[in-house]
Amino acid sequence: MSINQPANPGVDGRLGPDEPVKYKGPGPATGLDSPLRKAVYKLRRDRWGMLGLAIVIVYALIALGVVLGLWGQDWSSTAGPRWAGISAEHWLGTNLIGQDIFNRALYSTRTAFEIGLVVAILSTLLGALLGALSGFYAGTWIDEIILWKKGVLDAIPFYLFVAAVAFALEGNAWAMHIAMIATFWTITARLVRGEVIKLKNLEFVEAATAIGASRMVTLFRHILPNTLHILLVQGTIVFVSAIKSEVILSFLGLGVQEGTSWGLMISESTQEVLSGQFMNFIVASTMMFILVMAFNLFSDSLQDALDPKKVH
Amino acid sequence: MNRPLLEVDNLVIEFETDRGTIRAVDGISFCVGASETLGLVGESGCGKSVTALALLGLIPSPPGRVAAGSIRLDGRELTGLSEARMRKVRGKDIAMIFQEPMSALNPVFTIASQMTRVIRRHQGLSRRQARAAAVEMLALTGIAAPLRLIDDYPHQLSGGMRQRVMIAMAMSCEPKLLIADEPTTALDVTTQAQVLEQILALQSSFNTAVILITHDLGVVAETCSRALVMYCGRLAEEGTVESLFAHPRHPYTAGLLESIPALQASRNRHLPTIAGAVPDLAELPPGCLFADRCPSARSLCREEHPRLITSGRDGRVACHFPVQSREAYRAALVQWES
Amino acid sequence: MAVAAGQPLLRVRDLARYFPVTGGIIRRTVGHLKAVDGVSFDLEAGQTLGLVGESGCGKSTLGRTILRLHDPCRGQVVLDGMDITALSGKALKQKRRDMQMIFQDPFASLSPRRTVMQILREPLDIHRIGRREDRRRQVEALLETVGLSPPMASRYPHEFSGGQRQRIGIARALALNPKFIVADEAVSALDVSVQAQILNLITDLQERFGIAFLFITHDLGVVRHVSHRVAVMYLGRIVESAPVDRLFEHPHHPYTRALLSAIPSPEPGRKRIRIILPGEVPSPANPPPGCPFHPRCPEAMDICRTRVPKTLAVDAAGLHQVSCHLHDPDHVPSASGRPPSTENS
Repeated sequence: MSINQPANPGVDGRLGPDEPVKYKGPGPATGLDSPLRKAVYKLRRDRWGMLGLAIVIVYALIALGVVLGLWGQDWSSTAGPRWAGISAEHWLGTNLIGQDIFNRALYSTRTAFEIGLVVAILSTLLGALLGALSGFYAGTWIDEIILWKKGVLDAIPFYLFVAAVAFALEGNAWAMHIAMIATFWTITARLVRGEVIKLKNLEFVEAATAIGASRMVTLFRHILPNTLHILLVQGTIVFVSAIKSEVILSFLGLGVQEGTSWGLMISESTQEVLSGQFMNFIVASTMMFILVMAFNLFSDSLQDALDPKKVH
Repeated sequence: MNRPLLEVDNLVIEFETDRGTIRAVDGISFCVGASETLGLVGESGCGKSVTALALLGLIPSPPGRVAAGSIRLDGRELTGLSEARMRKVRGKDIAMIFQEPMSALNPVFTIASQMTRVIRRHQGLSRRQARAAAVEMLALTGIAAPLRLIDDYPHQLSGGMRQRVMIAMAMSCEPKLLIADEPTTALDVTTQAQVLEQILALQSSFNTAVILITHDLGVVAETCSRALVMYCGRLAEEGTVESLFAHPRHPYTAGLLESIPALQASRNRHLPTIAGAVPDLAELPPGCLFADRCPSARSLCREEHPRLITSGRDGRVACHFPVQSREAYRAALVQWES
Repeated sequence: MAVAAGQPLLRVRDLARYFPVTGGIIRRTVGHLKAVDGVSFDLEAGQTLGLVGESGCGKSTLGRTILRLHDPCRGQVVLDGMDITALSGKALKQKRRDMQMIFQDPFASLSPRRTVMQILREPLDIHRIGRREDRRRQVEALLETVGLSPPMASRYPHEFSGGQRQRIGIARALALNPKFIVADEAVSALDVSVQAQILNLITDLQERFGIAFLFITHDLGVVRHVSHRVAVMYLGRIVESAPVDRLFEHPHHPYTRALLSAIPSPEPGRKRIRIILPGEVPSPANPPPGCPFHPRCPEAMDICRTRVPKTLAVDAAGLHQVSCHLHDPDHVPSASGRPPSTENS
């Protein structure tokens, strides 16, 4: 007498399967209709979101080209004349020490992506882990410690904190990344904590306990995947924040130490603007502005697509 | 019954979805007499709640719209009224109570402020008069000490109390028609009994007509005089409660009645069920929508949609081959299943 | 079955589960919410005990405490001859194979991001049942057992109707071949016609596999249909329990009588005398002294306000048990020993 043996088909005609209910939201019902696939379908119908994504992809290709050595390699060469105008040789002119602005802008895209990706991925992972533990063990000492750490980090002014980390690491190229990761995870952690507290009381979590799943399996296999929508959206927001913060930090001299970036370009341009040379400033800020706008458009539509409540 | 209070004629409600236009309500007609209690029965998704929202002009648009038909209250056409005019009808002429009183009450205002606002808007009373009216209304719904809870917030009340407050609010302007959408589904049986009793008592003292929307056939049997059975947005059957329960004509009605675990019968192994599931509204089959689940369906049923025909004294049924008796249905079901 | 003759499969004794009530700014425990307060019953293998009561009476907490989803703060649960109240770690995990649960909400009880295959495989993987390669086939067999078709295994829960989801939940409970299942309001969220299909499935499975059920519900019609025995709960205690027909035909406790009279019957014209209880269920954080039902009881006596009634058998076989002073021969004022209103149903 084992339940796991195949049933005699037709043992009970009345128990025949009811017709599968077709997915009532957007998108034709398919056999493999995962929640993520649904989100992708919704995302693809969002014009502004797709425009944003397209622009982000163009930027990503530029950055990739720089990494592969296809372009932007001559960013540091001072061979050109000082403050050259737009020409076939220097598409966007040169800066005050004769560096090609176009090449510098391309190279800065790489820098921006590197910072954005590293900070977004690591701070989201850290925020997810700590937020999940804190929510799962809400009210216990684990939660208290994580909340306390979060509170302390939130209380320190961001730029002061970065300066402190930069000094502590004595000009290490990663000081800025570390400072950003240490700051940005708190928001992700707060969102994940709240969601985990909500999710852990749902019946499917109790069901996991009832079949004998351990606490960690319950948390990481059953609860955490259901916060994916928060993590993805939060990741894109952190990406944008990191790029914006880089510009300000580099401007203050706390940011990029090796290579160049839009922040460093804007920083240089302070001397140039007084002499009536605006190209460096305009190029760097426009490049950044367009990427941030595009990412925000994408992030908004991602949020709409992933929100389980917004099925229309 | 002279002129009915509410006349709904060929009402069609459509919703735009990503999978095309679906008809949530497809050409239903019915009347409600003054001070009558009409039950609106059906399973989830049959269009009963959408019908109720349409009566109040509350179909969310887009994606929904009243595509055709008319709704007349006291002879006055309600479809096509402007939002401003409809707002005057809501609360004053037609009031509604919902299944979940917690979500229908605003959590940040006290009971007093929510009730007096409704009363003042429709009756133009002073603040003090409105408060007195609210207290009186709460007392009428069987709340023993209304003065003690009128300054409470909704979350401070129990489920039963909240539903009474909702009823008091709905009745405070003495509407001609009260729509109660699953008013007791979230309540316990003993509380349900109290609340239903209260609705009926208020109905007779204010002469209000009530449309009671429910999936619970027991509630219909005990409170309504007439009932409509809806299936997939269409009217399956209409009749007096006595005839509907004793002699259901539509196989769906009969099937519903059979599948309730009866209190009187002792432990029996098998409940008669309605096979299969409700068809997808976006891909409706031709012919009768119940044909695939019906033990007495014949080829005609899959080809031609049955029209409503009169049955009995004042009933109507949409079926090509109406059920002769509950016994006959049971026999057909047994034969069909084997 | 491994149960020795004369031993019930499940024996619950004086089980209690309190939740601390905190108050003040330092979140000190100021009292206890007695969700389950001294519950005892036996359940035979292959039988169904229906557990009825209104929301907040502690019936769901009782089911979860028996399954050790909550830890009891007093009492004993003996499953299949083994006291499981103090088990933990590996031993508890091992014992979970014998006891499973079917949940109320077919939408909340299945993780939306996992396929049916993943959901149903998990218990087999966790307990290493069968060979790895065979588990896929086992899941398909499970699906057939509950009336679903094997190709559905690759789908996600949101692609199914409520009734089908409930079948998946049942399949998950069956995966470990349990001896005992707690069904917590398993059909309450379903439409009548689907509810009947699921009830039939549950009774069929019981017959085929000899599973014992604790069937928790507020629907008395459902209870009458599925149960062999029924227990009525009020404020954390069982106030009356009896074989199903006996309870419905000869309810003794005033609360049971009121509950039965309050159900709307789908037979118009059959107007019964309805006992409308005054007031509402008191908070389990602050239960009344004496019999917890006395503030609403139409037949309350002086003693009910001070002393908790004992649980006594009211029939010769000892199967029908009531906790009510009216049925305690020591306290009844009338000489007959039975109140006059017992036999009207």
